[in-house]
Amino acid sequence: MTQDLSFWTLQTLNALQLSMLLFLLSIGLTVIFGLMHFVNLAHGALYALGAYIAASIAGVAGFWVAIIAAPVGVALVGVVLYGGLIQRMRKSGPMAQVLVTFGLIFALLDLTRIFWGDLALAMSMPQVLSGQVDLLGVSYPAYRLFIILLGGAIFVALALVLSRTQIGAMIRAGVDNDAMAACLGINVERLFFVVFCVGCALAGLAGAVAAPLLSVTPGMGLQILIPTLIVIVIGGLGSLKGAVAGSLIYGFVQTFGAVLAPQLASVLIYALLAAVLVIKPVGLFPAKG
Amino acid sequence: MFRHTPLRYAVLAILAVAALVQTFTAGYFGLEILIEILILCLLVLALDLVAGFGGMVSLCHGALMGVGAYAFVALGTLAGLDPWLAALAAVAITAAMAWVIGAICARSHGIYFIMATLAFGQMAYSYVFESPLFGGDDGMGGIDRFDLGAIGLDLNDSRTFALFCLAVVVLAYLFSVAILRSGLGRSLSGVMHNEKRMKALGLNTWRIKADVFGLSGIIAGVAGVLAAQHIMFISPGLLNWTVSGEALVVVILGGLGTLVGPLVGAAAFVVMKHELGEITTYWHLVVGVILIAVVMSRANGIFGWVEARWGAAIERRLTDATRSPAKKEVSTDA
Repeated sequence: MTQDLSFWTLQTLNALQLSMLLFLLSIGLTVIFGLMHFVNLAHGALYALGAYIAASIAGVAGFWVAIIAAPVGVALVGVVLYGGLIQRMRKSGPMAQVLVTFGLIFALLDLTRIFWGDLALAMSMPQVLSGQVDLLGVSYPAYRLFIILLGGAIFVALALVLSRTQIGAMIRAGVDNDAMAACLGINVERLFFVVFCVGCALAGLAGAVAAPLLSVTPGMGLQILIPTLIVIVIGGLGSLKGAVAGSLIYGFVQTFGAVLAPQLASVLIYALLAAVLVIKPVGLFPAKG
Repeated sequence: MFRHTPLRYAVLAILAVAALVQTFTAGYFGLEILIEILILCLLVLALDLVAGFGGMVSLCHGALMGVGAYAFVALGTLAGLDPWLAALAAVAITAAMAWVIGAICARSHGIYFIMATLAFGQMAYSYVFESPLFGGDDGMGGIDRFDLGAIGLDLNDSRTFALFCLAVVVLAYLFSVAILRSGLGRSLSGVMHNEKRMKALGLNTWRIKADVFGLSGIIAGVAGVLAAQHIMFISPGLLNWTVSGEALVVVILGGLGTLVGPLVGAAAFVVMKHELGEITTYWHLVVGVILIAVVMSRANGIFGWVEARWGAAIERRLTDATRSPAKKEVSTDA
C-alpha cells in the first residue's frame, strides 16, 4: 500500500486539507496574539459559533449565503467581545487573559447549547462541490479540495495585504514594536480592533467550511482549540509564516502519523511540540527576533 | 514569602471545623461531596504552589493527578502490589514526571510555559487514551482502598474515608507551608519576582523551578491516589486538560498565592457546581460569568478580596494591641 503513489497523493491531500482548516483558525489567533499580546482561548468557541450560524442559515438560504454570513456574524460577536472584555483585559498579564477567555469558553459553550440544543446539527455541502474530482490518479472529494484552495487563497490574500499594502506595513510595525509604531502616528488601538475582528471572521469562516465535514456540536470549539494552539506555538507567535509552517507541520504529522504509525500518532504531535519548545522556546518563526 | 496572618488562621480553623461537622452530620451524598472537595483541595494546593508562588501557570496538574491515579491502579491490579506500596510508588512516579516536565518547561515563560505544560499533559492524556495496557478509553476498575484494619478503621465506610482524606489534606497543607518556608521556597518567590536578579546572584533558577514542580507533583500524585480510591474507577478523562483548567479556575476563584484561598475556592466551586447543577443544566454558563467577573474585578479571588478588605485592619489592631504595653514600659523606665 505504501509503495503506491496514489496512497501518498491521497494522504498528502488529506494533510493539506487539515492544514488549511487549522491555518484559517490559527492565523487569526496568532496575529491577535502577536499584535495585542492577547491570549484568546475562546477562539475555538468562535469557530464553533461560526459552524452553528452557518448550519442554521444554510438550511434556509443555502450554502453560499451561509459561508458569507457566518464570518460576518462571528465578527459582530467579536465586536461585542472586544468592547466588553478584550479591550479592558489587554494590559493584564497572560494569566488573567487565559482565565477570562476560559470563562468565556464556558459561557459561549452553554449559550450555543441554549440556542441550538445539545443535538448535533448537520450541514449539507453545495451540489457543485459534492462530487469527486480526479487528480493525479486519485479521485478526491471536491469539497475537501475546495477547502485546500480556499485556505491557499486566503493565505495569498493575507500575504499580499501584509507585505504590499499600507495597512499591512502598519500591522507588521505594530507586531514588531507597538510602542514605536504608536510614536510614528499609527493608531495602534484601532489597528488592534480591526485585526481582532478579521481574526474572529476567519474563525467563523473556518467553522462554516468545517461544518459539512464534521457534525456541528457544542464541544467542537474545545476539540479544535488544542490543535490550533499547538500550531501557533510550533510556528511562533505573530507571524504569517509561522502559522503556515505550524499548520502544515501539524497536518502532515497528524495525517501521516495516523496511517504510518497508528500507535504513536496521538502522542507524536505533542512530542514534537515539546521538542520544539525545548530547542526553540519561542517557536520556529517568531515575529520578533 | 508565605506568612500566616490571623485572618488566615481563622479561615483555616473555620474550614477544618466545617469539614469535621460535615463529616459527622452529613448523609452519604453529603460525604461524597465532602470527599470530592477534599481531593480537589489537594490538587489546588499543588497548583497554587507552582502558579501562586512560582509564577508557573501549569495546565498539566490535572494530568499529573491522573498519572498518580493510573500508576496506583496499574501497580495494584497489573503488578499486584500492596495498595500502600503501590501508592508510594505512584506518588514517586508522579513526582519524577513532574520534575522532568518542570525542568523542560522552566526555560519558557508566560504563555509559552502554559502551552508547554499543556503539551505534556495532553501527551499523557493521549497516551493513556490509546494504550490498551491501561484499558484505553474504557478506563480501569477494581481498586482496593487502603487497609487500615490494623488500627481498627474501615476505609470502605464513607465517613472514615472522608476523615482520612481530611487528614491527608492537613498534611499536604503543612507540607506546602514547609516547602514555602524553606530556602527553596524563598528562592522560588525570588525567581518569580525577578528571575534575572536571582540568576545574577548565582542561583540555578531552572533547578529551583523544577524542584518545586517536582514537590508539587508529590501532592498531585497523592490527590490521584485518593481520587482512584474514592471513585474506585479511573478513566482517561481524569487527565484531560479541562481538569487542569478547572483546577486553575478554582485557584483563581479562591485567591492565587495564598494557599488558604484555593481551599476556600475548592469548597465554593464544588458546592456551586452541585447546587447549580440541580437548578440548571447550564451551570457552566454561570461559572463562566462568575469567573469573568472575578478576574475583571481585579480582586485576588474570594479570599484575596476578603484579605484585602479586612486582613489589614485585623492585623493593624493586633499589632497595636501588642505594641501598647511595650510603650508603657518604656515610659515608666524613663
